[in-house]
Amino acid sequence: MDERLLGILLDSFPKILLPGLAVTIPLTVLAFSLAMAIAVAAALAQFARVPVLTQLCRFYIWVFRGTPLLVQLFVVFFGLPRVGVTIEPFPAAVLVFSLNEGAYCAEIVRAALEAVPAGQLEAGYCAGMSYLQTMRRIILPQAMRTAFPSLSNSLIAMVKDTSLASNITVTEMFTATRTIVAATWEPLALYIEVGLIYLLFSTVLTWLQGVGERRLSAYQGQGG
Amino acid sequence: MLEVKNVKKSFGGLEVLKGVDLTVRRGDVVAILGPSGSGKTTLLRCVNFLETADEGTLVFDAEEFQLAHTARRDIARLRKKTAFVFQAYNLFLNKTALQNVTEGLITARKMPRAQAEELGRRALEKVGLSDRRDYYPGQLSGGQQQRVAIARAIAAEPEIIYFDEPTSALDPELTGEVLAVMRRLAEDGMTMLVVTHELGFARTVSSHTAFMEGGVVVESGPSREVFGHPRQERTRAFLQTDGG
Repeated sequence: MDERLLGILLDSFPKILLPGLAVTIPLTVLAFSLAMAIAVAAALAQFARVPVLTQLCRFYIWVFRGTPLLVQLFVVFFGLPRVGVTIEPFPAAVLVFSLNEGAYCAEIVRAALEAVPAGQLEAGYCAGMSYLQTMRRIILPQAMRTAFPSLSNSLIAMVKDTSLASNITVTEMFTATRTIVAATWEPLALYIEVGLIYLLFSTVLTWLQGVGERRLSAYQGQGG
Repeated sequence: MLEVKNVKKSFGGLEVLKGVDLTVRRGDVVAILGPSGSGKTTLLRCVNFLETADEGTLVFDAEEFQLAHTARRDIARLRKKTAFVFQAYNLFLNKTALQNVTEGLITARKMPRAQAEELGRRALEKVGLSDRRDYYPGQLSGGQQQRVAIARAIAAEPEIIYFDEPTSALDPELTGEVLAVMRRLAEDGMTMLVVTHELGFARTVSSHTAFMEGGVVVESGPSREVFGHPRQERTRAFLQTDGG
């Protein structure tokens, strides 16, 4: 590797990592937290078969799972200003990522809720607990355990998907990389470099998933 | 203290209960026997509103309820006076044995944690599982799980405990430990309504026995009479073929 290239790589590393820490990670954490809130609410509404709300949830999931993430970003960021709704790049990205991810995670949580044995709810009733108490204390914790690996998967996918925010001028890692590529014309080395940083983020999350699963699985001991 | 009258229930076109009457007095241990499909489990589930009966009344502590239209509030109030032991145990899988016993006390009855845990420890001691209090259901045998379920039932100090085939999911060698616990409860004067296949338990522990078949109570009375001198031909045939 020649010295010029090595210099570019070393010089660019903090310039890429910094927006990663300052933008990519906050964007992921914020959007995923909101997505989880949406997902749990939408899953519970469908699980309880709340009229009207259930249909609204199905419609929401249908739309956000059925259209490309990039199109959703463009509609919100470039499209909405035409009707007088202008949103800054970062909040626009948070909004779209959370709505999009919420739709997928709602399905994961709903399936996990339905996988909890029906007897758990009946046992809650018979212990004098209400529907809401049983859901909060018994059913939801078990469902979240079941959903955890799939949700972790979604989170890891989302870290990488945030690179799409580059297209609506959010200055995250990929935007930073593109700027440096334009100035240095070293696309191969620099795109591999940013790819490795994404890989580093994903690796940390995979490790955290393992830790989380071990802690959550405490109650799933072997029975006789 | 508990009386049900004319309970009817259909699933689809199938009439499972065709007008069942049953009375349980305080301190009674009433066994409901009968072949599979006779409606005995459905009856028990209707009495605790896990199924909504199509017709029938329930008198509980001199208060009358229409089984088909009882307000959710009344159902919740009634359930706090009763406890239910399931065939499949249905322990809360994400809670330890002790937490299974205290959960309803703390969450539903708003009992202070320390008091609930004291009651919980005593209940587990009664079923002989003090040393398993921090185990999760998945770490317990079927018989142990069912005994935790019984501890959960008695900790709430209910006026009556409903048992739905409490030993049917257990290996024969584990059945004995559960029946022994139930026998002790009966000796303590607990009011119990027990759907069971255990003829031996019905004969020796229950004060009264009702024999159900085809959605009706064919015969009922003091267990000594039902077992000693069954009046109905069907009862006699059942008690003979099923062994006991």
